[in-house]
Amino acid sequence: MNQTVTINISGIVFHIELDAYEDLKNYLNKIKSYFKNSEECEDIMSDIEARIAELFSEKMSDLNQVILRKDVDEVITIMGKPEQYIDEDSEEQHEAPRAEKRTNSTEKKFFRNPDERVLGGVASGIASYFGFDTIWARLFFVLTTLFVGFGPLLYIILWIVIPEAKTASDRLQMKGDPINIDNIGKTVQDEAGKVNEKLKNVNGSKIGHILERIFNGIIAVIKTIFKAAGKLIGAICLLFGLLFAVWFIMGLVDDSVIFSYTSEGITGIESSELFELMFATADQFYLFLICLIVVIVIPIIGLMFAGVKLLFGVKGNGAITISLSILWFIGLFAAITLGLKTASDQKSSQKEISSTYLSSTTDVIYLKASEKTIPGEVMLELDDFSLALDEKYLYSNEIELTIKESQTDSVEMIIETRSNGKNRKKALENVRSINYDFEVADSLIKFDEFLTTPRAQRMRNQSIRITLKLPLGKAVYLDESLNGLIYDIDNVTDTWDRKMIGEKWVMLPNGLTCLDCSEIDGIKTEDITAKIEKEKDELESAENE
Amino acid sequence: MKIENTKAQMRKGVLEYCILSILKSGEAYPSEIIDKLKEAKLIVVEGTLYPLLTRLKNAGILTYRWEESKSGPPRKYYQLTKIGEEFLKELETTWNELVKAVKLTSK
Repeated sequence: MNQTVTINISGIVFHIELDAYEDLKNYLNKIKSYFKNSEECEDIMSDIEARIAELFSEKMSDLNQVILRKDVDEVITIMGKPEQYIDEDSEEQHEAPRAEKRTNSTEKKFFRNPDERVLGGVASGIASYFGFDTIWARLFFVLTTLFVGFGPLLYIILWIVIPEAKTASDRLQMKGDPINIDNIGKTVQDEAGKVNEKLKNVNGSKIGHILERIFNGIIAVIKTIFKAAGKLIGAICLLFGLLFAVWFIMGLVDDSVIFSYTSEGITGIESSELFELMFATADQFYLFLICLIVVIVIPIIGLMFAGVKLLFGVKGNGAITISLSILWFIGLFAAITLGLKTASDQKSSQKEISSTYLSSTTDVIYLKASEKTIPGEVMLELDDFSLALDEKYLYSNEIELTIKESQTDSVEMIIETRSNGKNRKKALENVRSINYDFEVADSLIKFDEFLTTPRAQRMRNQSIRITLKLPLGKAVYLDESLNGLIYDIDNVTDTWDRKMIGEKWVMLPNGLTCLDCSEIDGIKTEDITAKIEKEKDELESAENE
Repeated sequence: MKIENTKAQMRKGVLEYCILSILKSGEAYPSEIIDKLKEAKLIVVEGTLYPLLTRLKNAGILTYRWEESKSGPPRKYYQLTKIGEEFLKELETTWNELVKAVKLTSK
């Protein structure tokens, strides 16, 4: 006794034995999975089912009402297995070249490239291995050398570790296939194919087919993800490139690329005039500016181009990439060279000292700033530092005034003029070209608040330091106008410069002491006087002993 | 290179041409076509025909109509479309050229 099931094929009802049913089901599923990927799958299936129904109906008679296993076998023989369908071209055609390729394809290996080398061919070997242009590998080493410092070490290690490609087959292995998503996909597919073949041998092709389809599906998904990620990265690159470009163009317009703050805010053109004076010549400055633009603009272009490439799959022009990279390097190199050259113009620092004795008869000397304001147009104003320019001269307020005790009985004014220069001679020349004025009228000294230097001398950190040497017992009055001039005047109460103004200060053995103030910075003058008297007594008694 | 591949390639090209030629004289349903193809020893298994017919139909070369059958499920009667007729004409020309070419080269 055999169990039968009732099935419906193309609208016709059949009784079929259970094991025959299993065979038929497997057969139909196999065909179905075979055509799964084609659009016509349903049409084909219904046609085939109709034909099977037809064949079964021919076999059925009043005596023979149940389909047996042998009937199914016969039908399968008539219809044929999907592998036997000659229309299905994919199998035979693809299998053959794939197998061929597998035996031919070479595994990629790391080699140093002796054909394109600067030192040991490490960079071009890496580039070959990963399938990008050699310039990027070289750039990597240069940048890691410049900014991180491990470049040379890494290079030497790789030089030792990676063998050189000596034979032709080494060179082939060095190049291999470029690694990209398609090739990764291909490799995985090949692997899937191998697994599939093994499974076919073990368990018929059904599982193999399903596995292959699963693999294909996974690969398709991965490819899609990578493509989408690529587009996203491309969009981000493009966006940033555009932002940088806008920022840069706006920077050019108001010249804030080399910005500086003046009392009126950002003034571009004028500030570039000032920057120009830092360089040895105006030409050098403009060259530096061009280099700077090149160094900034090329990466922006590169970023935008990479974005476009990723977004729209446009192919890059290798020649343009290389020439832009070279241009960028030249720009960077020139900018660095000019920068170093400009810095070297400040290498030597020299000073000259001139001294004036004042024949002042009064006990108090009045110190004031002159009424003259800084000539020319103010270019830079930072806290207490300002620079001004006119057609011939550069004006700076780098002036410091301090007061010290004189070793003699007379008031002495020492003026220290300082400047930097390329060398001692040049620096001294700069020092001598500095012009500084002050007026002495009996007990009144008026100091200019700026120094003057010819523009031809450039900006070389010119400065003036005035030291007023005051004999014991003499006093100075520091006028309010000295606010920007006085600097670090030692005094017994350690009073801050800006609090010293508007007061009379007397030179005592201990240092400058406020004359009129009864109290300054919480310290009473009386206490100080008392302290001084006490110390004096102690000193005298010590001497007597 | 396997001989089976080349054979299959040759047979495949001829098969389409033959199916269309069978339908040239009038409509037919798959079993009839299969019988003729088997007679001509062009196909071994019947399953080959169905995907081909479906593709030709989807390409607009063939069309079909349903007809009830006394002995089994309803049948699809296939016939050539206008495009199919054009297609066949071109195949005939090509075939004749190929026959000439083979004759010429294999002499």
